[in-house]
Amino acid sequence: MAKVENALRLTAVDRKAAMLGLEPGMPLANARAMLPALKVVTADEPADRKLLAHIADWCDRFTPFVACEPPDMLLLDVTGAAHLFGGEKPMLDQIREKLSKQGFALRAAIAGTAAAARAFAHYKDGAIVPPGAEEAAIAPLPIEALNLDAITTHAFRRAGLKTVGQVSARARNELTARFGARMVFALDHALGKAEKPISPRIPLPDYMAEHRFAEPIVTEDVIRATLHSLAEILSSVLEQRGEGARRLEASFFRADGAVYRITIETSSALRAPNIIERLFREKLDALADPLDPGFGYDLIRLGAIRAERCAEQVIGFDADANEEKEIRFLVDRLAARFGSNRILAFQPNDTHIPEAAFVAMPAQYAQNAKWECDTKEAPRRPLRLFARPEPVQAVAAVPEGPPLRFRWRRALHDVVLAEGPERIAMEWWRHQDLQASRDYFRVEDSQGKRFWLYREGIYERETLAPRWFMHGMFA
Amino acid sequence: MSAYAELAITTNYSFLRGASHPQEFALAAQLSGLKAIGIADRNTLAGVVRAYSALQELEGEKPKLLVGARLVFADGTPDILAYPADRAAYGRLCRLLSKGKARAAKGECILYLSDLLEWQQGLLLIVMPPSPRIMADEIFKKAWNNAASFAELETGAKAADIEPFLKQLSQTAPGRVWLGCSMPYRGDDKRCLRKWQRIARKTNVLLIATNDVLYHSPERRELQDVVTCIREHVTLNDAGKRLEANAERHLKSPEEMAELFRDAPQAIAETIRFADRIGFSLDQLKYNYPDEPVPKGTTAQAHLEYLAWAGAAERYGDVIPHKVRALLEKELALIGKMEIAPYFLTVNDIVSFARSKNILCQGRGSAANSAVCYVLGITAVDPTEIDLLFERFVSQERKEPPDIDVDFEHERREEVIQNIYERYGHHRAALTATVICYRPRSAVREVGKVFGLTEDVTAALVSGVWGSWGSKLSESEIRQGKLDPFNQLIARVVKAANELMGFPRHLSQHVGGFVLTRDRLDEIVPIGPATMEDRYFIEWDKDDVDALGMMKVDVLALGMLTCIRKAFDLMRVHSGVPMDLASVPREDPVVYDMLCKADAIGVFQVESRAQMNMLPRLAPRKFYDLVIEVAIVRPGPIQGDMVHPYLRRRSGIEKVVYPSPSPQHGPANELRDVLQKTMGVPLFQEQAMKLAIVAAKFTAEEANGLRRAMATFRNVGTIDSFREKLVGGMVARGYERDFAERCFKQIEGFGSYGFPESHAASFAHLVYVSAWIKKHYPAAFACALLNAQPMGFYAPAEIVRDAREHDVEVRHVDVNFSHWDNTLESRSDGALALRLGFRQIDGFSENWAAALLAARGNRYDAVDDVARRARLPKRALIILAEADSFQSISMDRREILWAVRRLADDDALPLFAAQYVEEQLPETIAALPVMPLSEHVLADYRMLRLSLRAHLMQFLRDLFRSENVKSCEEIGNAPDGVRAFCAGIVLTRQMPGDAGVVFITLSDETSVANVVVWPRLVETFRREIMGARLLLVEGKVQRSPEGVVHLVAERIFDRTEELERLSEDHNNDAPSFRSQARHPRNVRVVPKSRDFH
Repeated sequence: MAKVENALRLTAVDRKAAMLGLEPGMPLANARAMLPALKVVTADEPADRKLLAHIADWCDRFTPFVACEPPDMLLLDVTGAAHLFGGEKPMLDQIREKLSKQGFALRAAIAGTAAAARAFAHYKDGAIVPPGAEEAAIAPLPIEALNLDAITTHAFRRAGLKTVGQVSARARNELTARFGARMVFALDHALGKAEKPISPRIPLPDYMAEHRFAEPIVTEDVIRATLHSLAEILSSVLEQRGEGARRLEASFFRADGAVYRITIETSSALRAPNIIERLFREKLDALADPLDPGFGYDLIRLGAIRAERCAEQVIGFDADANEEKEIRFLVDRLAARFGSNRILAFQPNDTHIPEAAFVAMPAQYAQNAKWECDTKEAPRRPLRLFARPEPVQAVAAVPEGPPLRFRWRRALHDVVLAEGPERIAMEWWRHQDLQASRDYFRVEDSQGKRFWLYREGIYERETLAPRWFMHGMFA
Repeated sequence: MSAYAELAITTNYSFLRGASHPQEFALAAQLSGLKAIGIADRNTLAGVVRAYSALQELEGEKPKLLVGARLVFADGTPDILAYPADRAAYGRLCRLLSKGKARAAKGECILYLSDLLEWQQGLLLIVMPPSPRIMADEIFKKAWNNAASFAELETGAKAADIEPFLKQLSQTAPGRVWLGCSMPYRGDDKRCLRKWQRIARKTNVLLIATNDVLYHSPERRELQDVVTCIREHVTLNDAGKRLEANAERHLKSPEEMAELFRDAPQAIAETIRFADRIGFSLDQLKYNYPDEPVPKGTTAQAHLEYLAWAGAAERYGDVIPHKVRALLEKELALIGKMEIAPYFLTVNDIVSFARSKNILCQGRGSAANSAVCYVLGITAVDPTEIDLLFERFVSQERKEPPDIDVDFEHERREEVIQNIYERYGHHRAALTATVICYRPRSAVREVGKVFGLTEDVTAALVSGVWGSWGSKLSESEIRQGKLDPFNQLIARVVKAANELMGFPRHLSQHVGGFVLTRDRLDEIVPIGPATMEDRYFIEWDKDDVDALGMMKVDVLALGMLTCIRKAFDLMRVHSGVPMDLASVPREDPVVYDMLCKADAIGVFQVESRAQMNMLPRLAPRKFYDLVIEVAIVRPGPIQGDMVHPYLRRRSGIEKVVYPSPSPQHGPANELRDVLQKTMGVPLFQEQAMKLAIVAAKFTAEEANGLRRAMATFRNVGTIDSFREKLVGGMVARGYERDFAERCFKQIEGFGSYGFPESHAASFAHLVYVSAWIKKHYPAAFACALLNAQPMGFYAPAEIVRDAREHDVEVRHVDVNFSHWDNTLESRSDGALALRLGFRQIDGFSENWAAALLAARGNRYDAVDDVARRARLPKRALIILAEADSFQSISMDRREILWAVRRLADDDALPLFAAQYVEEQLPETIAALPVMPLSEHVLADYRMLRLSLRAHLMQFLRDLFRSENVKSCEEIGNAPDGVRAFCAGIVLTRQMPGDAGVVFITLSDETSVANVVVWPRLVETFRREIMGARLLLVEGKVQRSPEGVVHLVAERIFDRTEELERLSEDHNNDAPSFRSQARHPRNVRVVPKSRDFH
């Protein structure tokens, strides 16, 4: 289901729904009127694309030339590859079997041109049409098989030309005059008379370097050395372009077809080869399941998946300028070593609740956020906030007077100055039960120490016996 | 005890900011003993009348209402609460807001400080600074850059400070500027207060206490958070500091406020002094009628009397019937007493304009109770035919101005409206507003979003709610959506949604309620532009306008009037018969014969399924029967189960008796007067009201309250007390409980759609006129009906089919004969044929039609000829060809289409277009396959939504015959009780009221069949009922004594795929894929059915 032209519409239906008469494009309201219990899922086009890309990745094993045709089609150029699988039929069977096992429903066909293959896959599942036989094979298919635009398709239907054969029997100039050369080309393409190269998928890295080995390599030393030399090549390319990598991927192609990919991310654009190599090494060392070289790798590839401009910097003379950078490198190293989820930094969080006003998140992703603070006046929130507010016994005037005296950690404090209350109500929608509001006071005791404590519960409105807590200390 | 007045109240008319109704504030203020409340919504006065009305109804000591607005500026000036001190200043405030509205898009109001300075005379101004912390930021700098009007300000002043601003403002408005401050529990409240005190002292401005209130009680904090999220388009989890930190911005008692401001008691005292300075109240809005319609040298009353007697002479000739004369004298006297003659004159003025432009119009509603309206020609209900109850229309006790609604032709109403603007000016005439409120669906959807529910869950949550009204969401309705009402999240959503229901969401223009004044209207209420160009509407809705006793005329649109006028025009041109609404011959028996046979497609009001079923049963033979016919098939009588008793009595099966109280409580025939006309069964709205008075001893005022509660009961929910009073009252006086309950149910049913007798009579008049035309001029009627589309119940296909069944020849659209509109053509035998116009073709534009006509000359000979001479774009030619409109040139649709596609595209440069020449070489092409008839029909349906060739079902007849399926005609002739199958295209689906019964009309090549599906079955076959275009129904034939035949469904099958198969080639064995992307035109094999809920 997705929002199309301001109405929620079905974008896809499963077999059961289709049998009950639902179809894509139907407004959700209509579908619901028919089936109130209908289960719908919001369409997630990026996820669909991602899944298709995953399948395409997986298809890499059959041919390097895989093109994604969203929403639901893959084109594989199997020229010269079929024999590796024992011919076209075994290859098709294998693809079908393996994908079916993974739970995908598919229709597949092999033909001499992409357009013909598309037509057969849609309208004659499992067809394997040898080159030259397309024209005869495609003729009985409905013209929809040509994948023309809706208007043209409709025009043919209206003219009584309802199969590909009927259309292709018309004179070419007759067709060109009405539908343009493009349509005629599409027809010829589908008939196997014209060729159009498929455009392979582009997961191609922005920059990449690779090393092929005549003999599969096994030893770790060689792998490291290779990585280092690849890093140097990559680095020099990046330098020429004035760019650095934010994400790098090393792919290890095993001789038996398995591919391992290892990705590292950096918090700033990077191109120093030794750092690259070091980060990969950290990562490789940290792998819970070390790479199994098996019979060895015959190809190692290093690519900068995401590159961005990096400002050329003169290495500064004062250490301060490098401080930030050093921290970043440290963060990268630690993250590569221990995982990015374990190196954390505090970020401000948009809420009134004091203990939730900040969150810890992976330092690599942390923004250099500015903490909101009043410079002119004393800070409203203490620098030190207790992880858990500590109960305090306090004497205060009802309903909302400040504490006059309180006992905390067995010591008695006499309040000299107090300001408040700052009343903070809890986020009611997060809690099961009613949460009492807090009245915070900033107080100073007779020794000049400043505390932040609160009364829990508004007197009479929420409770008759408010409790007191110490929540933090000002420096 | 300290006295306090809250001056900064934001109600929910500051949309999505305030979280309480104005009424709630009024009540809460009284309870906590506030001296006054100031309603100050964001740049609007929309909520003040609500508060005013609520306070009127309160008893005991009540707070004074201060009417004001919170001026929110677009230039960064801090918010200012503006309260007019007197009537003149109020007018200026209205002008100020109108100015801001005119500047902005609909619903917005853009104000600059300069506007305030222009209109500030007499306004008391409370500057509401943002918190000092925020203020230190950008805000003031922006204000300063824009404050050009403060010429004397040192431009260089980096005024990140409020002081110079206050100084300047108080120099401009001396003694009328205050600094508002509040104690929001921010922790540093006292520090801030001291700062404000200092600033106030330095700038010589007085400090005044407020609580900057957003809701009337702290419990509303949750709803306040929810509306904030709706406004900011965020979920609660993401809202963060956009929400208030606590629940303190509620209406506080004087004690609480005094405690909060104990360091500044003078700020509290100042609120009382402030309130005392305000001498304006809404009572002072003296409404006055426009005086345009009154000629110089005479009074309104005299002029009205003159017009009334002149009109009477015209209606009745020299001898005015005694009854009419008496009525007129009585009415005119009452009008004179109430001084409402100008109102009648104004409406008459509008109606006369329409009449002068030959625009049909007719008054409806209770105005039809007035003989004066009749003789003025405003209404069409003849007092000699119907007993008029003028008291129903104008009553001295009610003290309300009368309400006249007039219907105009829907296509020409705009002319009337523009004339009103022209005559009275935009500053004196404007539409009333309609307050669009949250309803169950919208409330749940929005609240669900705020809680992070997906649209799917919210859709499920409201799936149990029928229609858009209905009171709060109940547990059972939630369960219907397969959700657990005790799940906390769901419960919270439901709670918030239930609270949000009835909250105003935005203001919209009323469909036609005009307010006209003699003085400037924009000094009575702010006026703003509507989305529609050249439309303006005020900020108050009709209840507000009523509450203030302002005059309102409803200028409504009615499709049937358009149809009738078009039919009159055609009759004049083609048959030489001049005719108008008044001159249609009365009581023509053949018209009643036709109606008795339920031959009523296209006839006003009685063409619906329910009405068509009723016609043979009621068998109308005179005008008053039509009045009853119109009134009886309404939710009121149906819900009150009054229909069958009436029919039984009418047909003589049941004796006419009058329900009676026990003897000690009153005479047995006390209801005779009330119910005599309708054989002892209450059918009309006023009968039900009268019943409440006579049988349940309501006072007139209570009955009126009941009526009003009904009209709005879903908003308020005071209905239960009335129920108790009515049913209890009647039972106590000895009436049967069952009868009392039914009466109440009926009144409930009237609530939203009640017809008083006078209104039914007005409509019955149109029923009769349209039936008369249909009977005597079927071709003109069908033609007019098609040209007036969209209107009525039936699609063009049914109208055309009906016309053909009445022996009207219908001719296909043709480039050589058609016009944009459908037209009539003379046949050689003298009869008239209906020629379909280009407007019937989907997607064809009126401009194309004009070009085609302009270049047509004698005729077009070839497709090229059309292309060359009419210079239509290729797309238009393709549409024409698809619609088979070249029949006079070639009969071969495919050949034409194929040829049209060959024409050059439209991108020829103008230079070349001027010398458009045939550049293409002639081509010889092989013949295209012959188009089968079924495909022709399908193509007709796609392009025209109808086919003159055949009915689709015809092609499936063999198939269905083999399945032993009967045709609709056979069903119609089948005896009672027979079990049968019937299949047809779904024409309409109706689910009247909330009974759960679904009526389906099926159509095939023979006739139509009426299918009834009982609620139990509706659930079982819901998918088929709601989704199918072609239905196969198995059921039992039910034939009533009057010959009304229904097929009561037992099993239902969706056979839509048969239609899809039709569109495939017969010999095509390629698989068809339902899910293949298809052109929208292809998807709609047959036009969608028309559904009515």
